[in-house]
Formats: sequence, C-alpha cells, structure tokens
Amino acid sequence: MWCSSNPAQKRYRVRMIWAAFFCVVLAAAAAIGISHGRVSGIASYFLAVLPALPVAWSLVVTGAYLSEEKDEFQRNLYVQALLRGIAVTLALATGWGYMEDFRRAPHLDLIWVCPMFWIFTVASYPLVIRRYRS
Amino acid sequence: MKNRLRVLRAERAWSQAELAARLEVSRQSVNAIETGKFDPSLPLAFRLARLFGLRIEEIFSDE
Repeated sequence: MWCSSNPAQKRYRVRMIWAAFFCVVLAAAAAIGISHGRVSGIASYFLAVLPALPVAWSLVVTGAYLSEEKDEFQRNLYVQALLRGIAVTLALATGWGYMEDFRRAPHLDLIWVCPMFWIFTVASYPLVIRRYRS
Repeated sequence: MKNRLRVLRAERAWSQAELAARLEVSRQSVNAIETGKFDPSLPLAFRLARLFGLRIEEIFSDE
C-alpha cells in the first residue's frame, strides 16, 4: 500500500502522518509541561494522557481506511499485516512481561507497545505481499 | 478455485492493468485472482462476469 496510490490509501497516509505529527508535538508538550513543573495536579494527568489521543486516532483512521478501501484485495493484504502486527506485539509484550516478573528483565514502558505494533505491522506488509507474487 | 480470467483477458488483448482499471481495482488484485491465490468476493465476481458478458460459473469453477 505504501507505493500504490488509490484515493483511500492517499487519505490514510495523510491522516497517519498528521496523527504521528500530533503525537510527537503533544508528547513534547507533556514532557516540557510536566518535567519543568509548569503543570501540576489534575491538569498534569490530562496533559500526560494527551499524546495518547493521536495514537487512539491512528487506530480510528485505520478502521476508516479499511471501510473506505474499495479494493478488497488491498484490504485483505492490510488486514493480514495488521493481524501479524497484533500477534507479534502481543506475543513479545507478554513474553517480556514474564521476563520482567521471573527474570528481572529491564522494565519496558507501556508507551512502546503501540509503536511496536505499527513497526511490526509495516514490517510484515512486504511479507504478506510476497505470498501473492506469481 | 480455478478461473479462466487469463484466457478471457488474452482473448480481448487486455493487459492486467487494463482489466484492473475496468474493474476499479489494483493490478495486483487481478494478478492474485488470475493465479488463484485470491478468491474474489461475490460482488467482484459479478462485476467480472458483467465485464466479460458471461455467467460467474463460466469464469470460475470449484474443481
């Protein structure tokens, strides 16, 4: 999907770029606001959770893409990549959780779960495509 | 599921890209269907049948 360009894919790319942009901006704002002590109390909780909103938005955007994509084969490819991304992320996160519990492995912050999911999804997409090459 | 898409396309001298444009799908979709690696949904199978002026079972077979 990264090199094709039907309208649904173009919209998806643009929306995802905006989601990533706002995630970085809000994460920076939260880090500056909270670590420098400019925001405290209840407001700091709201500020801390703000970067999660674009992340949630990226999942909504993905759902929108799947419903807007008219090419069922392209939709099928992306659903397979998403499922692989979910499977690898859940397996690794669970495995690492047990390593933390039983072997005192370094703690992995939960904020890395979603980036991991997107990295594994994007990485698995070429593997999914390869299955259909003649 | 087997199909006669490649033959039907060749009879009309259409490339995969031309057929894909007529169906409003990607060329990869046409290739995946032709090679039997992807089975189209019923609506897409009907679009194919209409495009070639045939019935679905004249294009696809479950043998």
